[in-house]
Amino acid sequence: MDMAGKDNLGAEKGNDDPLNFHSPNMSSDWQFIGANLANSSMGSIPTGNPMAASKGDLLEPSSCSSASMVDSFCPANWEQTTHSQNLGFCEINVQHGPSTSNMLGIRTSGLGPIRTGAERTVGIGWTPPNAMLKGGLFLPTASGMLPQSLSQFPADSGFIERAARFSCFSAGNFGDMMNPFSIPESMSPYSRSMASMQGPHRVFSGEGSKTVSGEQYQKIEINVTENPKDVEHGAIEGSPLKNERKTESSMGPHDEPKRCSAVSGNESDEAEFSGGGQEEQSMLEGRGGEPSTKRLGSKKRKRSGQDNEIDQVKGATQQPSEIPKDNAKIQQQGNQNLVSASNRPGGKQGKQGIEASDSPKDEYIHVRARRGQATNSHSLAERVRREKISERMKFLQDLVPGCSKVTGKAVMLDEIINYVQSLQRQVEFLSMKLAAVHPRLDFNIEGLLTKDVLQSRAGPSSLGFPPDMTMPYSLLHSSHPGVIHTVLPGVGNSSDALRRTINSHVTAMSGEYKESTSHVPNVWEDELHNVIHMDFNSGATSALLNGQDIRVSLPQDQMKAEH
Amino acid sequence: MMTSRQHLTTNPSSIKTRFAYLFLRNLKRLNKYRPTSSSSRAVYQRYGMIKFAADASMASAVGSRRAWSRATLLKIRNRALNCTFLKRRRIHALRRRRAERKSRNPRQECAFGQANELRRLVPGGEVMDICNLLDETAHYIKCLNTQVQVMRNIVDFYSS
Repeated sequence: MDMAGKDNLGAEKGNDDPLNFHSPNMSSDWQFIGANLANSSMGSIPTGNPMAASKGDLLEPSSCSSASMVDSFCPANWEQTTHSQNLGFCEINVQHGPSTSNMLGIRTSGLGPIRTGAERTVGIGWTPPNAMLKGGLFLPTASGMLPQSLSQFPADSGFIERAARFSCFSAGNFGDMMNPFSIPESMSPYSRSMASMQGPHRVFSGEGSKTVSGEQYQKIEINVTENPKDVEHGAIEGSPLKNERKTESSMGPHDEPKRCSAVSGNESDEAEFSGGGQEEQSMLEGRGGEPSTKRLGSKKRKRSGQDNEIDQVKGATQQPSEIPKDNAKIQQQGNQNLVSASNRPGGKQGKQGIEASDSPKDEYIHVRARRGQATNSHSLAERVRREKISERMKFLQDLVPGCSKVTGKAVMLDEIINYVQSLQRQVEFLSMKLAAVHPRLDFNIEGLLTKDVLQSRAGPSSLGFPPDMTMPYSLLHSSHPGVIHTVLPGVGNSSDALRRTINSHVTAMSGEYKESTSHVPNVWEDELHNVIHMDFNSGATSALLNGQDIRVSLPQDQMKAEH
Repeated sequence: MMTSRQHLTTNPSSIKTRFAYLFLRNLKRLNKYRPTSSSSRAVYQRYGMIKFAADASMASAVGSRRAWSRATLLKIRNRALNCTFLKRRRIHALRRRRAERKSRNPRQECAFGQANELRRLVPGGEVMDICNLLDETAHYIKCLNTQVQVMRNIVDFYSS
């Protein structure tokens, strides 16, 4: 019982920190988050003591830069891919636009909403604790993120994809599209459609409406990725849209806000649009083309399924009334549309006619049916889920080394499972090693918490530390069980417990990794030979270079400890 | 990805720093409260305690922001608050409840048959849908990486 008591005590001690940190934190989570929302400052809460250090987790969202804030919520890749999608479009405009200053205006304005939109995209799928931070934190920090996001995009591979895709579309039409500011008054259907697509750019550059431009960009992006034929159908769909155009010409500034708000249900967008919509009105009328956003929406919709979305939008927008009335209607419409949607795409009503962008303040996921796809709410919800899942699989692909060439969800999942198992086993091995090393040494936290502990040490581990993380995993891909087993029996009087553990781990791991995608099989062989042939001291040091060697060196350490 | 890595290494209050601090503190406590014998059984027990301390420190470093860390912390707390008898009973009850919830949860993607395997690996993953599960897996992988890094550094530090 004494031992059991001591075990419990040890467990208690081990539990102390998590318990201490956890229980008060659970209650103070919200308070801290609230405080952070109010302050939105980095150093508002001291991080000197351990309690604060643990609470720093909660502070992270609002502390640091916005990029790190989003990082704390989500891996950075997600926002980057989302950004690259949207900015692919922006970038192309930047390249071909005649007036760079306007382009830059578009770019920066586009970045803001995209950034916030991406954050909201990310924020939507998160656990409830994060929900509190969505509304408050994202908006204020939108502007702060722009400089950061600007630097990231040009190098993004996703952006390159989008750029390539754009260039594939139709060169002639894109010639028109790429000159958004030199829009001639009268155009052919193609150029009209293209010019209409440029509408949002013009509007946004004019007024700098951040959130709506983000949505527009998202719409455009989805639209463009869907089908080049959309361009042609844009002209065909002119007839149902001409009604709207008429109403738009009469109501002018309201259309953009109408559609945007029907999509997003956001009041602030409308206000901004109505302010800046005058410019667009003149431009649109002059062009004689359909309103851009409406066109974008129509392009995405199936011909038969148009009515769903058009009705929803039209129902609120067809009356030639003044702005506030329309806004109110749209708000109601938007609210009705979005009433049932939440983090999960469970709301069936809300899914129709709403696209997969994010309004600034809503938590809902907006989906718009693409051309050629069913507009059934179930399938829309399914599509949203599939997209989210594929997005996350892509990110996981980046996390797990050696998975870039793997295609298919099943294989990817296997890789992920293997990787997680290997990481967990590495932790076990390292703790085993620590247990063996432990009794001889005294811990000095201040001495340990130097940079040496936090970063890779120079010397023995510097040989391959950057690939070190991937080396154990990649080495395990080409594990040579025979070699390991020859080494282990040779060690001799290692403890039974240790050996059994090690053997079980080794066999399990070698059983798992059937692939032969190792990067450094020769190095591994050399290391193993070194371990075998060198004496224990240097063997332990060089053995730290990869996980396999750690396992091998454990019995050696055990022997050292025993002797 | 790059920003997250930079974030880890340069941010003084990053997960890595917090984990390192907590883990070292727990190790110190372990060292203090348990006899430092060199018998194999003691080493094995210490290994268990260190592993437990590592997981607990990691979960504390992450805090309550993540479902997996919350699940780990809950498990630790339950483990600490109950004696073994009650704990076993509760664990079985929890498992039963989880199984019920699992059956209630819609499994939408049949391609994710091996997602159940992933659920077992990621703490707290039993009751999550695929979307959140992938989410949590990504963060869990990131944290495991930092954990391995820090522990390896500690081992390096002490073995040289």
